[in-house]
Amino acid sequence: MIHLKVTNLHKRFGGNHVLNGVSFEIRGAELIGLIGPNGAGKTTLTNILDGAIKPTSGTVYLGEERIDQLQPYEVARAGLGRTFQVTRSFRRMTVLENLYVPALAMGGGFGAPLRDRAREVLEFLTIDHLRNEYAQALSGGQQKLLELGRLLMLDPDVIILDEPFAGVHPRLMEVIYAWIRRVNEAGKAIIIISHQMDSIFSLSERLLVLNFGDLIADGHPEEVKNDPAVIEAYLGSDEEEEA
Amino acid sequence: MKRQIPNIAGVLLLIYLAAFPLTYDGANYDYVMHILITGFFYAILTASWSMLAGYAGQFSFGHMGFMAIGAYTAGLLGHYFYLSPEATGLCAETPFFGQWLVVVNPIGVTSTTLTQDCLEQALAAWDGRVQVTPMPVWLGIVLGALMGAVAGFLVGVLVLRLRAAYLALFTLGFSEILKATISAEINVTRGQAGLEMRPLFPDGITLFGTHYAATDKLPPYYAMFGLLLLCLVILAWLAHSRFGLFVRALREDQDAAAALGVNTVRYKVLVFTITCAMAAAAGAVQGHYVQIITPNMLFLLQMSLVVAMAVIGGIENFVAAAIGAIFLQVMLELLRNSFVIGGVEIDMSVWRLVFFGLLLMITLRFFRNGLIVPVIAWFSRAGVAEETVAIRASTLTGPEGGPHRTEAPD
Repeated sequence: MIHLKVTNLHKRFGGNHVLNGVSFEIRGAELIGLIGPNGAGKTTLTNILDGAIKPTSGTVYLGEERIDQLQPYEVARAGLGRTFQVTRSFRRMTVLENLYVPALAMGGGFGAPLRDRAREVLEFLTIDHLRNEYAQALSGGQQKLLELGRLLMLDPDVIILDEPFAGVHPRLMEVIYAWIRRVNEAGKAIIIISHQMDSIFSLSERLLVLNFGDLIADGHPEEVKNDPAVIEAYLGSDEEEEA
Repeated sequence: MKRQIPNIAGVLLLIYLAAFPLTYDGANYDYVMHILITGFFYAILTASWSMLAGYAGQFSFGHMGFMAIGAYTAGLLGHYFYLSPEATGLCAETPFFGQWLVVVNPIGVTSTTLTQDCLEQALAAWDGRVQVTPMPVWLGIVLGALMGAVAGFLVGVLVLRLRAAYLALFTLGFSEILKATISAEINVTRGQAGLEMRPLFPDGITLFGTHYAATDKLPPYYAMFGLLLLCLVILAWLAHSRFGLFVRALREDQDAAAALGVNTVRYKVLVFTITCAMAAAAGAVQGHYVQIITPNMLFLLQMSLVVAMAVIGGIENFVAAAIGAIFLQVMLELLRNSFVIGGVEIDMSVWRLVFFGLLLMITLRFFRNGLIVPVIAWFSRAGVAEETVAIRASTLTGPEGGPHRTEAPD
């Protein structure tokens, strides 16, 4: 069973305390939403989890392996994959080549099985017709799908999706929803970071709320929705909305 | 079939270049061969630089520095190291597989210091009784390539965290330091006076049943052409392996590549090591061909020429870059011929670099992928767009055909 354990994570940039002792665990194939206002520390937390930056203190374990001091490629190989807030496809490589990179990095080889697997992923994401095009020829939404496809080829146990719905047309969001549910049902833990509350509440089984570096809530979406601290820090009350 | 045209054209060009020195019989044979040998030399530099800068996105301006490391390694080995059946008793020396490995003392460049040459003194004392053997040329080339690889590895490690302009400035600084060091260490390198090197084939060589002297152009033509082919084969193999895929991912987005499991450090260092070894090997062969090397080979203008050749050919395709180098080398020579328009003589010895600059500017402005890469892409990617449209049309949703699922409606 997947087990991601984050313990007492601190991160400081000079005098700016971005994370103040964040702790949580993921047990099994949970579908988790991570929300919080701008500057809450969501991206910093993501960057620490994927090895891009090191924490000031605290630990992150993926299973039995401590990953907070590993390089990003080692974290990916250990079983944690991510997408980026701003889509980062390999623009001057074809769609198929984009998918080959993670599969080959994980030790796979060239050949028909690799191509077949990539085609299967692209068909599921409905962009198989673009397989030989350069990624730069894809629309923004299609590039988001391509990023998800790369994650399928990486096949990690824990997936972090940073703003997967931002700037995406409703038709594409259906594809992304389907992707998330399918991957989660296949036994992967998924953390979704998003400001789109409707999507977060409809998909997540559990919500984590960060506010100025503190984890102020961790629970079922309905509980979190009614948590006064969360309402004050992020969601806002109905009265405020009406005002 | 259309997609294979670039490959077929490439093979035909190679056959033509391989047969050229055997079929060409013009009065200016040596001159033409020299131009092509130099063209092959630049082709190796541009092709390897294309892999480094075009594929991997590492804009190094120190490539000529690595070339010089190869040339000077071969030059210094040939200049200072000899094998002797007897100890000189004057030079630094050590037993070496039944002989003596003699290291000649550095004596600088002035005539008054020549008498200090320990080997010359020993040879004079032996009075022809003992023959010493210089190090084989091939060994200098191999060691030169290895030294280039080591230097490339070290620089690759040092520039791991540097990108774009910082990387370019760092590598330019490395090259300038190397040039200053070679110029300053007159006693060892002979500075601006230049280090003389033995010919590629000191005793000549027999090819196709004909003996060629050390000064003939045909053997070095095939030596440089062979090295170019070897480099292109290695680069092609790398480009079509996971190495090629990973370094291109590195170029596109280093962080994203790492997040997908690519060991970016490893591939960044590897691409520096391999391409610098190629540049160094080219430098060693070129040094033995022209028989003298000087720090002038490190002038920024030389590096600029390599960059210009790669840009005009197409920086993201090493074959196009190599063809661009040969084409430009030939064109720059053809542009030496002055001509008269309406009674006005155009002195091309002055204007040829202006034409070259204009070609570079036009390429940069209108052909960002170079002049050759778009032609190759036109053939090799023929039908891709039509294929995309056809597949899309066949998967349209709805009874009357609506937009594809991933495409927003109008």
